Amino acid sequence: MFNTKKALHLLVVMGVLGWAGTAMSQDKVHNYLNDTSLKVKAATSPEQKREILSNSLAEMTRAIDTVKGAPLATDQDRANLDRLQVTLQEKSDELIGANGFDRVPDDQLNAFSTYVVQDMEQADKTITVSLVVALLIIIIIILIV
Amino acid sequence: MTTWYRIIAGVTRTFSFKRGPVGCVALAVLFAACSSTMPPPNDEAVIGGGVTRHSLVFIIHGDGDYLYHNTLGEARRADEDILAQAQAIARKLPNAEVTIFHEIARRHVLFLIPRHDGRAFYYRQGKLLGKTSYWRDQGNSRFAPEADLYAKFADAQATSPVRMFLYFGHELPELNVQGYDASYPDRRVSVGDLAQGLSTFTGANDKFDLVVLGTCFGGTPHTIDALAPYARTIIASPGDLHLSYFDLEPLATLDIKRDDGAVTAFADRFARNAFDRLTRDVQTAVSVVVYDVNATQAFRAAVAEDYDRTLAMANGMPASVSHCDCADDPAYAHSEMSNGLTVLYRAPRFGRMKNDTHHSGWECWNTGDVQHADNPDNAGARP
Repeated sequence: MFNTKKALHLLVVMGVLGWAGTAMSQDKVHNYLNDTSLKVKAATSPEQKREILSNSLAEMTRAIDTVKGAPLATDQDRANLDRLQVTLQEKSDELIGANGFDRVPDDQLNAFSTYVVQDMEQADKTITVSLVVALLIIIIIILIV
Repeated sequence: MTTWYRIIAGVTRTFSFKRGPVGCVALAVLFAACSSTMPPPNDEAVIGGGVTRHSLVFIIHGDGDYLYHNTLGEARRADEDILAQAQAIARKLPNAEVTIFHEIARRHVLFLIPRHDGRAFYYRQGKLLGKTSYWRDQGNSRFAPEADLYAKFADAQATSPVRMFLYFGHELPELNVQGYDASYPDRRVSVGDLAQGLSTFTGANDKFDLVVLGTCFGGTPHTIDALAPYARTIIASPGDLHLSYFDLEPLATLDIKRDDGAVTAFADRFARNAFDRLTRDVQTAVSVVVYDVNATQAFRAAVAEDYDRTLAMANGMPASVSHCDCADDPAYAHSEMSNGLTVLYRAPRFGRMKNDTHHSGWECWNTGDVQHADNPDNAGARP
């Protein structure tokens, strides 16, 4: 119930703010991954670190999967979300050593968590999604967490 | 723009730009937050009669998603950080004029009245002599507002200063696409616009001694070609560039003449410093390349047709296309590929490219036909 109220509040605020809401939504995604990185670095055991990373990447991937199926997502949104999802899946694969990747060693999990954050923070073309899609991603993440 | 918007915009713009009294209305006075200080550019009483030996122009794009996190996990704004660095540099240089343009998101007062979406700062000999805010949608080209302001600011008495231009922002599209400026979602922008902007900054028959392109994927044959008429040396990142950008510290002790080799030596030092800082803090790939415009001309000419063809293909499949090292594509295997380059490259710490040891210095489009070379020792230039 708390999460639903929080999500609805966020929806209203961002809808009112319009484009500013899109920027805030993109910032929320960056901050979500950064928060994950901070939790990984604060965790004391490699098992905890892996679990935090794995859960976070899975949650983001699930959120994107849900949003892709939303009727309001455009074809361009889905294409951009596909690219984002591929990126996240590769991170998950590398974490566990699947799909041709070497498993991330225990002593590199902190650095890997930084890599996940920084890989999203490049001076690349912005991956633009519509405001609605950005909002949906955030809302779903909030509901999941 | 709506009629109401035009009226408000016109009033506030008039107040900000015109030096003499223009019959300001109460509404314009209310928005005096858009005020400017612009002393006459050639007022020697203000500037102390010193000599301008270096001229630096910064354009910092901030109208988009520029949030990043530093190594402590603290949220930062890339454009604000590089702006602060540029201003600090400007205050330290006794023999330079520094003009800084910061392109920001368009905001509104009370959700209705638009505020200026560009800020300009002019320093000479370490002193802030002028600052103003402006609209970014005026003029007949993307960077016309900045070029017009620069023409007002620049020291007309400077005798052949060493001239540098630095751009920081997201990757400038090679195709004319929408979405680069978040506040102008319908506006089409490309690297061609930057080239056109450079032409107005340099004027006829002149070039910047050094152009620094602080964006992702700036080191492509097409982009270097576009900027080549207006630069003698270019520094760019052919691959991804983290939003912490290039460190500007070497500019703080800038003291070079336009002698043979002096600017090139400075460019190499700037690139090395930027590379060292990035590799210290960043886990993703780092590539910083110095391009000698003259020495790279033969290679660029040889591959222009191939590149344009892949660019046209990329335009038709924007969702699935990606970038790659030109060395991965046999079409670019020319003997002059490494000529005129100083390549500094470190692979990402993780990911599929983590074992790559070289980068050719040139970035291309992968339209699906190019397989990444498993042998990391690709055509690569000097380390």
